[in-house]
Amino acid sequence: MINSYDIAIIGAGPAGMSAAITASEAGAKVIVLDDKKFAGGQIYRNVCNSPIEQVNALGPDYLKGRSLVERFGQCSAEKISSASVWHVSNSGEVLFSKEQSTTKLTAREIIVSCGAMERPFPISGWHLPGVMSAGSAQVMLKSDGVVQDDAVFVGTGPLLYLIVAQYLRLGVRVKALVDTTPKTNYLDSFSSLPGALNEYPTLIKGLGLLKEIQKSGIPVYKYAQDLAITGETSANGVKFQSGKQSYNLSCDHIFLHQGVIPNLNMTRSLSLDHHWSEQQLCWTPTLDSWGQSSATNISVAGDCSGIIGAEGAEHMGRLVALNQLSKLGIIATDIRDTQALTSQHRLLRFNRLRRFIDRLYRPKEDHRIPTQDTTVVCRCEEVDLATLRQEFERGAQGPNELKMMSRCGMGPCQGRQCGHTVSELLALWRGEAVKEVGYYRLRSPMRLLNLTEFSDFSHIEPTRATDTSQVQIQEVTR
Amino acid sequence: MNADALIIGGGIHGCSAAYYLSKLGFKVTVLEKDWVSRHASGVNAGGVRLLGRHPAEVALSKASMELWANLDEELDANTGFLSRSHINIAIDEADIETMNQRQAEMHSLGYFHEKLIDQKELRERLPAIAPHCIGGVVSEVDGYAIPYQSTNAFRHAAVRLGAKFIEGSVVHNVRKVGENWLIESSQGQFEAEHLVNCAGAWADKVAIMIGDNAPLSFSAPMLAITSRMPQFISPVVGAVNGVLSFKQFENGTVLIGGGLKGFADRDKNQTRLDYKKMAANAYHAADFFPIMKTASINRMWAGIEAYMPDKIPVIGKSLNADKAYHAFGFSAHGFQMGPIIGKMMAELIVNGSPSLSLDAFNISRFEANKV
Amino acid sequence: MFRSISKSTLQHIPIEINGKKVNVPEGITVWSSMALSGETTTRLSPVTKQQRSAYCAMGVCFECLVQIDGQPNQQACLTLVRKGMKIQKQVILENTDLVENGDHIVEGGTHDK
Repeated sequence: MINSYDIAIIGAGPAGMSAAITASEAGAKVIVLDDKKFAGGQIYRNVCNSPIEQVNALGPDYLKGRSLVERFGQCSAEKISSASVWHVSNSGEVLFSKEQSTTKLTAREIIVSCGAMERPFPISGWHLPGVMSAGSAQVMLKSDGVVQDDAVFVGTGPLLYLIVAQYLRLGVRVKALVDTTPKTNYLDSFSSLPGALNEYPTLIKGLGLLKEIQKSGIPVYKYAQDLAITGETSANGVKFQSGKQSYNLSCDHIFLHQGVIPNLNMTRSLSLDHHWSEQQLCWTPTLDSWGQSSATNISVAGDCSGIIGAEGAEHMGRLVALNQLSKLGIIATDIRDTQALTSQHRLLRFNRLRRFIDRLYRPKEDHRIPTQDTTVVCRCEEVDLATLRQEFERGAQGPNELKMMSRCGMGPCQGRQCGHTVSELLALWRGEAVKEVGYYRLRSPMRLLNLTEFSDFSHIEPTRATDTSQVQIQEVTR
Repeated sequence: MNADALIIGGGIHGCSAAYYLSKLGFKVTVLEKDWVSRHASGVNAGGVRLLGRHPAEVALSKASMELWANLDEELDANTGFLSRSHINIAIDEADIETMNQRQAEMHSLGYFHEKLIDQKELRERLPAIAPHCIGGVVSEVDGYAIPYQSTNAFRHAAVRLGAKFIEGSVVHNVRKVGENWLIESSQGQFEAEHLVNCAGAWADKVAIMIGDNAPLSFSAPMLAITSRMPQFISPVVGAVNGVLSFKQFENGTVLIGGGLKGFADRDKNQTRLDYKKMAANAYHAADFFPIMKTASINRMWAGIEAYMPDKIPVIGKSLNADKAYHAFGFSAHGFQMGPIIGKMMAELIVNGSPSLSLDAFNISRFEANKV
Repeated sequence: MFRSISKSTLQHIPIEINGKKVNVPEGITVWSSMALSGETTTRLSPVTKQQRSAYCAMGVCFECLVQIDGQPNQQACLTLVRKGMKIQKQVILENTDLVENGDHIVEGGTHDK
C-alpha cells in the first residue's frame, strides 16, 4: 500500500515556498516539485546562488527573496528539484520526470503554483531571431550572468523598466527604451490610484526606476505605436510612431514586454473552471477566497491564480496552505481563520495596487490583437493572421475548431504563445465577449515528453513519519 | 420539423448516412448532442484500413475503400485521405503461422488483397525497421485520413443537399405516433418517418428508447501524437501480434494508437488515460523502429467508443420496431467503414434493401439464443 | 552579441556546439552557452525552414529546441550544460528524408535506455 502525501506543491516560487513552509510547520507531509535546480521561481531565480558579483544591482526586491528561499530550504517539506511535472489529475496523481524517467506520487491536496509567463507580443516580425521577451533578459542575467549590449527594449510595465534599470546599473549598454504605455492609460488609472496608495513604497520604487532610466540619458520614446520588427531572416530593427514622428531604430536585438499572464497549461489540463479577467486581460482559474479551484483537492496560488506579484504570492501561498491544513483536519477551522487574517489583509492591499498597475500598464489592443496579415500568430506552426481569418470565414468559430483546421495551437508550446491572441481575435471577429469564445482544450503531457522519460513510473511516498501530536503554527511575523 | 429520416448522432456514420440519404432525395435531420465529430469520429487514429478485417466486414470494407479513393471529389472537400498501404509486421515464427492461417482463410473466402511479404521486402518497404522483424502482410490500398475533416466533409455535403444538423440536441424521448417517430430533444420536437440510431457510445440508450436491447460497452481507446520527426515511414504499420499501431503524417508527426483502453465517463464526456499502459505501448513502437526512441509526445488523448461483445458492429433494421435502423458499435474500427455504411443505410431505408448484405450485423444476433 | 558578466571564479567546462568545441561556465543553461558562443540559431522552422532562436529563455515558447547528445526536442533554456555535452541545431523539416539526416537515426534494434 503506497502512502500518499498530504500536500503536493508544484512550483517553488514565492507562493509554493510560502505554502510549503506553512504546511510543513504544521506537521503535514508535504512535497514540493520544481523544474529548476534551485528554488526561487522566476522572480527570485538563483537569489542564493547568483553567478554575478554585483548582485546588489538587481535591487532590494530581488535580494529580499533570499530569506524566503533560505527558510524554505530549512523547512521539513520534501523537495525535489529538476523535476518536470507533466501530468496532474484531480484524483491527486502527479507524474513527473527527473533524469529521464517518470515518477509517480499521490497527494490528498495539490497546490498548483506554476507562476506566470510573459504575455505574447504578436507584432509583425516578433518571431524573428534576435527578438526576445524582456523576461528572458531577466532570466539570463539572474541565472547565468549573461547580458546583451545595445538592445532596444520595447513595451510597457514595471518588469520592463526594472530590467532596463538593472542593465544600466551593471554597465550594460542599452540602445533605447520604446515605451508603449498609451497616454490615455495615465488618465484611466487615476481613479484606482487612491486605493493603491496604501502600498506607496511600491509606487515610489516604480517612480524611482523611471527617474533612474531618464537620468541615464538613454533615448526614451513615449506613447509608441504602430510597432513592427524589421528584418528578413533575423531582426535588424524596430519601427514605430512616437508623438507625431516615425522612427526606425536599427538594432539586431529587441526585448519585448507587455506584462505577464498566468501560466495556465497545468490548470487547463486539469479541466478546472477558468474565467476571463477584463482587468488583467487574461484567462484566470476560478477560485474561492482560499484559492480552491473547481476541483475540491486542487488549489492555485501565486501568479498562476492571477497576477499578484511576489509578495502577494507569498501571502496567497500561506492562505492556500492554511485552508488545506484545515481540510486535512490538521488544524481547526477557527485556527485557520485567525492565522489567515494578516495575509488576507495584505492581499486586499496588494489587489488594490494591482488594479492600479493593471490599468496604468494595460497593453494596447493592437499589440495583443494583430492587424497585419503576415503577423505570425502561432509561432510553432507558423500560422499567420491571414490564415486564421480564412479558416474563421470557412466556419471555424472556436479556438479548438480553428486549431483543427489551421494547426494553430498544435505545436510544442501547446498554445502558450498563441492562445490568448486567438481568444481575443475570435471575440473580435464574432463580436462577442472573450468569455463566450473560450480557450484550447488541453491535455497532458503539459510539454513535449520524450519516450525515454515516458517510462518507469516508480512510485514515491512520504519518507518520514511526522509526529502530528505536537502541531504548532508559527505566527507570521512581518 | 418533419423529415423523411431523423438520424441520432453526428459522427461519421450519422453524417455519411445523412449525405447518402439526401442524395437519394430524402429530407434528413441529424440530431447531435454535442457537435459534429465531437467524439470518436473526430479524435480517432484516422486509419483507413482493410487489412486484418473480420471476415464478415471484408466485403463492406472493400467497397468502402473504393469510396474513399474518390471521396474528396464526391464531397468536394479535403478529407486528407492518402493511400499509403498498411503493413502488419511479424517478429517470430508464431506470427508467421498466424499470418499463414489468416491467408488461408482469406483465400478460401475469395479475397486476395492481403499479401505476405518476406524480410527482404519488409526492409525495402520499411527501411527504418528493426533487424529482428522477419516478415509481414500488406494491403496496398489502405491509408489514413483526417477524422475531423472527413466527418465534416460528409456533413457539409449533406447540408448542401438540404440536410439539417441540429447540434447540442440531447434526445430525451422517442416514441411512435401513428406512422411516424416523434423525438423529444433539448432542442425541441422532431418528427420523421424513419429513425436512424448512429449514437456511438450512447447508442444502447437510444436503442432502448426504440425498443431494442444491445449489449454495448464503452471505453476510451488511447492515442498519442508526437512532434515532427524526420520522415522515416510511409505505410501505416501494425504488428501481427497486435501490440503496435502507428503512422507518420506528411507533416512528420507520428500518431501512436493500438486501441489500448483508458476510462470513459460517457455522461460527462470525459476520459481518463492510463499513462503507464500508454508508456508500455509507446515502447513497442521503439522496439520495431529504433528511431522512435527520439520521439517526443506532444499530446495524449482518448475518444469515447462503443464496443460490441463479438467486436463487430450493429447495422441494419431494428429488431422490434418498424422503420427504425441502427449503425453503431464499431469497436474501434469504424472510421474506414463510414462511407459504405452511410451508403448501405440509405439504400436499406430508401430502397428497402442494401446492395451489400448487412445480415451478419443485425441486432437480432444477440437475441439468437433463446431459452 | 551576448556576453558574460558572471564571476571570474566560476569553473569552465568543455562542450561542443554545432561541432565547435567551446568552454563555458559550469552550471549555465545550454541556451546561455549557445548565446555566449554566438550560435544563436537553435533550430530551423519545420514549416518555413527559416532560422529560429530562443524567445522566452524560461521554457514556455519551445523555440530553443535543440538536439543534445543525439536526442532531439530538448529545451536548451531548461537544460544545464554538462562536460562533454554535444549540442546541435535541430533540423527536422517537413519531408526531411531519413537518409539525409543520418544523425537522427538511433542505432540498435532492441530497446535500451
